[in-house]
Amino acid sequence: MGRRRLRGHRGDAVGALPEAIAALSQTLPAGPSPEIFRRAKFDRPEAAPALWQLLFRVLSPLPADGASASPASPTSPALEAQVHLVKSALRSQGYPRRALAQLPEDGSQGSRELLLALAWLLARGPLLEQLLAQTRVRLGDEIPLCECEALASAGPLPPRQEADGPVDIRHLQWLMGKLRFQWRNLITSQQEQCALLGKIHSYTRGCHSDRSLGHLSVAETELFRDPEGGRQLLQRLESENARLEAALVWWRQELVFWKWMAGGWGPEWTAVQRASQEAVGRELATLQRAWEQGEALAQTHGPRRLVKRDAGASGGPGLRAAELIGVLRSRETCLEAVLGRLQTRCWQELTRLAGARPGLLWILPPGR
Amino acid sequence: MLPADCSRRLVAELRDALDACAERQRQLERSLRVSRRLLRTWEPETPAAEPAPGPETNEEVPPPACTPSRQELKELELLTQALEKAVRVRKSMSKAGERHKALSLKSGDAATSASTASAPSRASSQAGSQASETKPPRGAHQTTVPARGLPEGRLPSVGDRTRMARGARATKPGPGLRDQQITASAAPQAPEAFTLKEKGILLKLPMAYRKAASQNSRLWAQFSSTQTSDSRDAATTAKTQFLQKMKMTSGWPGSGLSAAEVEAEVGLLRKACSLLRWRMEEELSADPADWMQEYHCLLTLEGLQAITGRCLHRVQELRAAVAGQQLKPWPEGRCPRASMPCEGRTDSSWSPQLLLYSSTKELQTLAALRLRVAMLEQQIHLEKVLMAELFPLVSTRDPQGPSWLVLCRAVHSLLCEGGERFLTILRDEPAD
Repeated sequence: MGRRRLRGHRGDAVGALPEAIAALSQTLPAGPSPEIFRRAKFDRPEAAPALWQLLFRVLSPLPADGASASPASPTSPALEAQVHLVKSALRSQGYPRRALAQLPEDGSQGSRELLLALAWLLARGPLLEQLLAQTRVRLGDEIPLCECEALASAGPLPPRQEADGPVDIRHLQWLMGKLRFQWRNLITSQQEQCALLGKIHSYTRGCHSDRSLGHLSVAETELFRDPEGGRQLLQRLESENARLEAALVWWRQELVFWKWMAGGWGPEWTAVQRASQEAVGRELATLQRAWEQGEALAQTHGPRRLVKRDAGASGGPGLRAAELIGVLRSRETCLEAVLGRLQTRCWQELTRLAGARPGLLWILPPGR
Repeated sequence: MLPADCSRRLVAELRDALDACAERQRQLERSLRVSRRLLRTWEPETPAAEPAPGPETNEEVPPPACTPSRQELKELELLTQALEKAVRVRKSMSKAGERHKALSLKSGDAATSASTASAPSRASSQAGSQASETKPPRGAHQTTVPARGLPEGRLPSVGDRTRMARGARATKPGPGLRDQQITASAAPQAPEAFTLKEKGILLKLPMAYRKAASQNSRLWAQFSSTQTSDSRDAATTAKTQFLQKMKMTSGWPGSGLSAAEVEAEVGLLRKACSLLRWRMEEELSADPADWMQEYHCLLTLEGLQAITGRCLHRVQELRAAVAGQQLKPWPEGRCPRASMPCEGRTDSSWSPQLLLYSSTKELQTLAALRLRVAMLEQQIHLEKVLMAELFPLVSTRDPQGPSWLVLCRAVHSLLCEGGERFLTILRDEPAD
């Protein structure tokens, strides 16, 4: 039954499916050939390793730029390690099928299940957009605005040697002090970086071919200082453009892929097809609500290119720094209130506990 | 001393926080290095693919070709000699404290002094060191013209780095060493030092880059426009049906919400809670000037109450789901962050958006606020963790024991003062 579907659904152009799959493969990082996809539908074992690797690449977090930074983590772990990570990542994301967890650890089987898993990831959310955004070539200057950037680039956490024994509470105080100091350093460095950016933007005013930007960014200025680096940047840009074009092709054609995925799996599917029709409406509504609740904070998410523009100049797209400062100030106030409330609660609790030792004077530090 | 398991957990949390901070610092330092370098003296070379520079290029900027022609070499040599003479004349006229341009070598990373007061003294000390410099400049990039066979000058710059750090500005090259260098050389070189400050506006992006960059932004812009066509709707329906099927054929008993989904929803509800509380406090603290404002306030509060009710209901549903079902456990250790936390971006544009600022001060304020917000969020998280671990200890330890007061004092400092201040405990004994 699968064979019939492959030649294209009635009404679709023959060859639309391979084209769609080829586009998908080019958009994905480490995308396997369309032939692998076809074999996977038939659960051929030779297709399994490539799909494990693809899922590993898709599900594992990217290290920060400078992928070779940490010597501890290998550039590409063994297949078994990849299998293990893929299984646990899918489980934690809520992958509904038990069959995946039962696949052998050596990665030799299960290509059909892996194809289902990939389709499940694609169906659930904007996977391709997220993957492309993850590796997007940054041409402009950005300051990290939201936590997501910091978290996403944290990379695989190195195994840490924990102190096994009990510690003195003074060690904790020391760690807190160290943390405070690090934050102060961070703020100072950040201020310097902003000053330098301001200069670079001013000095290159009028150079950019794109009038809405006006000035060059650090990366663009570097093109002149380091032509070799510039060539590499250009290469990365061009390959990203190719991937973006493939993604657009995929979106035009993807219905063919979903129809292919819908058919030819065997009797267990046909039985539930009718039941799923009713749930569709409910499902969509729930999804929408979940996104809506995230809307309020969408403004401060995502990287944005810094552009220096005189305060007098009006109009044009883009978020104004003054606006964002306002949003952040209210968030700061909100958080300070939360922290203050927590600290007050602690104080009240301690006061209560201190009642166990009467006859003592507790003198608070000044400035509270 | 704290018990072992409690110690382990708390130390782990604090170390996580320190690691996160250190990672940010590392990234910042990387960017700082690049920016500082760009504000020093360097030589612009457009990538090889570029044809002859356009009319706006100043003739003082060196030619883009990597290997200068014989004719160019000759011309530059003549120019060099003329400029040598000019420098000699100028040197005899310059006083202390006056900045002056000098002929530059391939300067690369050679740091130069920002303070002019020391320039004359350096000039005299440099004269003697001409013969001895053999070291290449730190981190010199290898891509510039190999025909320039000049030995590289290495100015004493270690002490200057701290001054640069405090407020890097575009720098002028130190005069002394270079003057000596020029007389000895025959190879061609740039007639003028290039600094971004003076010549930045002359830079022109290469055509290949411009094409690729504009195509890139055009393609990204198409992402959002393709989201809303009819074929997309059909694809969305097909996808939802597929997801439903997957759920039905899961093979798990009692399939329902997964741990990840519950966690995600709880996160959203938590955000909703703090937003709602903040909004409510705003309304309650506002001072309505007339009945219309008061009515507006009342409507807002009623609306907030309704939303809160719905959220509470959802919390109860989730609680029941967690209790009733056999949820898949979290994988050991930290889970890979495969699901991007930026959920709210699905319908906003994926193309890189702009953030416009008008002055350095504004940018600094913005960046500082952002860090402050991140720091507060971390502090709140740590506060909750410390509360959960330390309060039980205080309650269970014997108040009459020797270490109880020490513990109380430390706990107060950590939990109520952010570890910054300490209180004093005195025995209240009656005067005899």
